[in-house]
Amino acid sequence: MPAEPNVSHAKPRCSCVALLGTALGVLSLALPWLTLRTSRLAAGEGVLLWDVAGPAVVAVVALGWFAALVSSFDANTQRRALTLGVCGTLLAPLTLLIAGSGSTSLLSSAEEFARSSLGPGIWVGLIATYVLLHTARQSLGAQPFLRNVFTWAPLATIVAIGMTGAYNDLSLAREFSGNESRFAQEALTHIALSLGSVAIGACIAVPLGIAATRSRRAERPIFIIASAIETIPSLALFGLIIAPLSALSYAYPALREAGIRGVGITPALIALVLYSLLPIVHNTYVGLKEVSPAAMDAGRGMGMSRAQLARRVEFPLAAPLIAEGVRTASVQSIGNTAVAALIGAGGLGHFIFQGLGQAAPDLILLGALPVIALALLVDIIMRAAIAALTPRGMHTEATT
Amino acid sequence: MIAIENVTKQYGRTVAVSDLTMVVGDGELCVLIGPSGCGKTTTLRMINRLVEPTDGRIVINGSDNRTSRPETLRRSIGYAIQSVGLFPHMTVEQNIGAVPSILGWERTAIAKRGRELLELVGLDPDAYAAKYPSELSGGEAQRIGVARALAADPPILLMDEPFGAVDPLTREMLQRQFMEIQTRLKKTIVLVTHDLDEAIRMADKVAVMRSGSLVQYDTPEMLLSQPADSFVRDFVGADRALKRLSRIPVTTLMKPAKCIKRGELSRTDCTRALPRYVWVVDGEGRLLGWTDTTQGPPTESWRMDEKELDRVSVRDTASLREALSHMLGQGVRSVPVISTDRRLLGEVTLRDIEEATVE
Repeated sequence: MPAEPNVSHAKPRCSCVALLGTALGVLSLALPWLTLRTSRLAAGEGVLLWDVAGPAVVAVVALGWFAALVSSFDANTQRRALTLGVCGTLLAPLTLLIAGSGSTSLLSSAEEFARSSLGPGIWVGLIATYVLLHTARQSLGAQPFLRNVFTWAPLATIVAIGMTGAYNDLSLAREFSGNESRFAQEALTHIALSLGSVAIGACIAVPLGIAATRSRRAERPIFIIASAIETIPSLALFGLIIAPLSALSYAYPALREAGIRGVGITPALIALVLYSLLPIVHNTYVGLKEVSPAAMDAGRGMGMSRAQLARRVEFPLAAPLIAEGVRTASVQSIGNTAVAALIGAGGLGHFIFQGLGQAAPDLILLGALPVIALALLVDIIMRAAIAALTPRGMHTEATT
Repeated sequence: MIAIENVTKQYGRTVAVSDLTMVVGDGELCVLIGPSGCGKTTTLRMINRLVEPTDGRIVINGSDNRTSRPETLRRSIGYAIQSVGLFPHMTVEQNIGAVPSILGWERTAIAKRGRELLELVGLDPDAYAAKYPSELSGGEAQRIGVARALAADPPILLMDEPFGAVDPLTREMLQRQFMEIQTRLKKTIVLVTHDLDEAIRMADKVAVMRSGSLVQYDTPEMLLSQPADSFVRDFVGADRALKRLSRIPVTTLMKPAKCIKRGELSRTDCTRALPRYVWVVDGEGRLLGWTDTTQGPPTESWRMDEKELDRVSVRDTASLREALSHMLGQGVRSVPVISTDRRLLGEVTLRDIEEATVE
């Protein structure tokens, strides 16, 4: 354990990051928390925190941020982390709860089609609580239990409050309930399209990566093509594929009958597969190249055949890096799939573009927020899976 | 027996090994030595066909090594290299079991063999079997490397600087331990090194190579006393007389040492015909140190500090070179030889060593 700084020559340090978070939190109090519109498409007017919440609630929120402010200057790292963590854990759900109940009270006195959306104050406040929780978790490096508490407790509370229907009067929730069946369908399409394309991409990219390590001649073209694809903006790539695909589908009616047309799932899938190639090819290549030559020599010298060497030494050692490539490709693909809605492939991007078309910000959010959540979720799950599947011997090697 | 017959290896125009002929007898430890690029590693790798010769043939125990598939051949030959090349994703036990597992041994047999070998190389099976290579020190890793090479009990062992990547102290310890194993197992070993001391300490025969050819193939004693040409003479160095000493165990020149038992010496004895400095032992004959008899008899509980004792004495497994180095380092003319349990066996004197080197 490092010595406490109170006896050393160093100045007692405050946490700059925590201070920044607190400043954001205090700022959020001055910003409009909700936006009230007469209809879902109308321009809105900002509503401040004290217009929707009683003095007691305002006092609690202000007290929370004040506590965070004070503890930012706390030189005792452990105590600071705990205070910040507790503040964040309480403030994040509280902020959303105020948004939900505030909307309910606003709408009860407004016209029939009025909408209440999250205002800048809420967003800034949520970002600020995230900063607090993040700082707390960073300083709790050696205490995984507390780290987990400060990750999952706020999330669980937010979800639990949501289950009670407290957010139902928010415009976002209204958009959701208006599109409920469509939402489930598009979310499934999104998941299937993004992860399916990565699965297909991996089946192509891993052999390509192997080819690149095995043959000098193949190495350059493989990387040139894969990198070139990556530089094409996603929208352009979708467009590029439409033309040849529709020509094909015109020329061969059998293709058209099989559902392969210039627009729709097929071109999106092709483009997404192409996008997933580079990260996986690259990581396969690096993973295989980084296998210790000494281990390979020892394997060969002890009489392993080529196949045994690949199965017992080369691939197990390269696997964690290859899986990292698949993870990168998956996260990237979830984002790109949002764009695929433009060429009629569906997915959560559907709501984003519909919202853009109608200038309905909450409909955009209905598409955008789940895409972000999905990307984060896939990232967390795959990281955990990779960590769990990597042999212990290779973990320690990576950290030392 | 390994017979290398007129073997040549060319890479394009470069000749790595040229018309090499030599025989390694059963149970012999043959060291290939020479400056880098002399073809010693290439020669080693041609034996298990990691490198195929351009010309000539290698006969192992009567049959050409090209009669079976290279994989089959290699599985019957142990292989240990300087960089060790342990598989980082496998435990120590799995690493040692690599060859047995390719050979299709039963799981329980592999585990049993792994524990046997860990004990053989002096590592506690309970503590080490489940470790991963990243958790081992350099010396431990090299021991596991040797254990892995011995796993399927191959009659032949090929070793490419197997003790190369560790500090000198650990290296000497590993070499000594390996020699103990070798005297028991009597494997036919070809070992590549560029460390002359290692060659002289371990080899039954040393093959000195230069630019792909064999310059001299002899016992270490012959190599040191009768270098074939100026190249070998330069290679073994001006201190070859000293190096020869490292081949001779202290026990060959050891004589009984004058010693007294602690507590069995009266003041009058001290003034008698005893030499001024004598070794002191306890009731069981264990060395306690030396004493100056003019200062009177040592007390009942007198003993020298253990570290100090280690500095002034040598083990019976040591070489004359170590004994000499002890004497020069301590500025004394004799050194006591002790057994593992510190019993005083005798002493070696500077004069005896002088006489032995002159002959």
